[in-house]
Amino acid sequence: MSPRQTALQPAYVLHQRAWRDSSAIVELFTPEHGRVGVVAKGIKRPRSPWRGLLQPFQPLLVAWQGGGELKTLTVAEPQGMALRLPPSSLASGFYLNELLMRLVARQDAQLTLFGCYDASLRALATAKDEAALERTLRYFERDLLTALGYALALDHEAETGRPLRSAQRYDYQIERGPLPLAGDDEAQGIALHGETLLALRAQRLQGERERREAKRLMRAVLARYLGPKPLASRQMLVRPASARNETSE
Amino acid sequence: MEFSPLISRLVEDLRCLPGVGPKSAQRMAFHLLEHDREGAVRLARSLQEAVEKIGRCHHCRTLSETATCPLCANASRDHGLLCVVESPADVRAIEQSTAYRGLYFVLMGHLSPLDGIGPAEIGLDQLETRLADGGITEVILATNPTVEGEATAHYISEMVHARGIRSTRIAHGVPLGGELEYVDGGTLSHAFAGRREI
Repeated sequence: MSPRQTALQPAYVLHQRAWRDSSAIVELFTPEHGRVGVVAKGIKRPRSPWRGLLQPFQPLLVAWQGGGELKTLTVAEPQGMALRLPPSSLASGFYLNELLMRLVARQDAQLTLFGCYDASLRALATAKDEAALERTLRYFERDLLTALGYALALDHEAETGRPLRSAQRYDYQIERGPLPLAGDDEAQGIALHGETLLALRAQRLQGERERREAKRLMRAVLARYLGPKPLASRQMLVRPASARNETSE
Repeated sequence: MEFSPLISRLVEDLRCLPGVGPKSAQRMAFHLLEHDREGAVRLARSLQEAVEKIGRCHHCRTLSETATCPLCANASRDHGLLCVVESPADVRAIEQSTAYRGLYFVLMGHLSPLDGIGPAEIGLDQLETRLADGGITEVILATNPTVEGEATAHYISEMVHARGIRSTRIAHGVPLGGELEYVDGGTLSHAFAGRREI
């Protein structure tokens, strides 16, 4: 037992679920402690100052105490303005949160990843179109994989270690890397162009083809680590059926 | 002290009610047994009957023992207006304090991907059919002003727009009679963003 309160530190709320009558279990993401589960006591009471505060995408300063798996939240205050994610970016924000909930272990420092998450949310807050949202998600997925120790090989071939060429087609095999693809050879992993990997690395994912290939690559790689349970927030990223019909007609 | 098995069971069962801990459950049990056995029988019958008969209204999904709830069946209401809310308690709150005369659609929750609650779980396919049936001129989105509530409102507004129907979102701002000084930052900035000409 360590009843001592931690120092005030930056955090984001990833998820909140009701607990008992007036409390909630809040999953926080912090730089020094990674993902932390805390009990926010009395948050559901009408006068609780935490009610509107402990929402996703609001930069916070928090402190907690307790030594078990679940801590008790003692302080939570806003750190500057809430990142007002436009409604069209919310589904992407939930997607980031779900990835962190599923892949990041509790109580495991994530200094770099926290910075990436913060930057990604800020990018989502100002994203103008679908392409900008997609780019933000791809860069975050790249950084997440790196932080988890599954970094992608984005600049050199597997086996030979030769630098990637932009126009060359590659067969990206998960946990191995890109292997050059000759002529009409069938890819065992994901078939893509060198430019896609180079652009993903250099943060210049512009072209339609590169975006499509990067999405396919990330999907396949993440699926490996996520296991069979699908990501629920992907459902929301897909537009409602009626809205889709309208645009395709 | 140990109670007889039946009393213990009653106390334990009463604890399934929200806000009822062991102490209040015990008080309730003794009150019913000592002072109000008739009330206890009525309560038992009502519970039994309610659980057996109450389902969902086919039109708005709210809890109702008839296939069409009284509100949806009421011909004097404006059937062109549809207000989307998260729970039956929200319907009650709006009914009691506003002059709204249209109909409702009760989601029984909000989109919450991390809890596995997607569009199907909150009956959006049913809402889709309802919109397709025609006759609705405006959809008022009155989901809660939480991040999930906003996401839900946005999702529905896209469905509504795709059908060329007008969709509106209820305003958020400073509570009446409140003081700006004590209003939380998020609400205040929202109120500023949503200011209007007078």
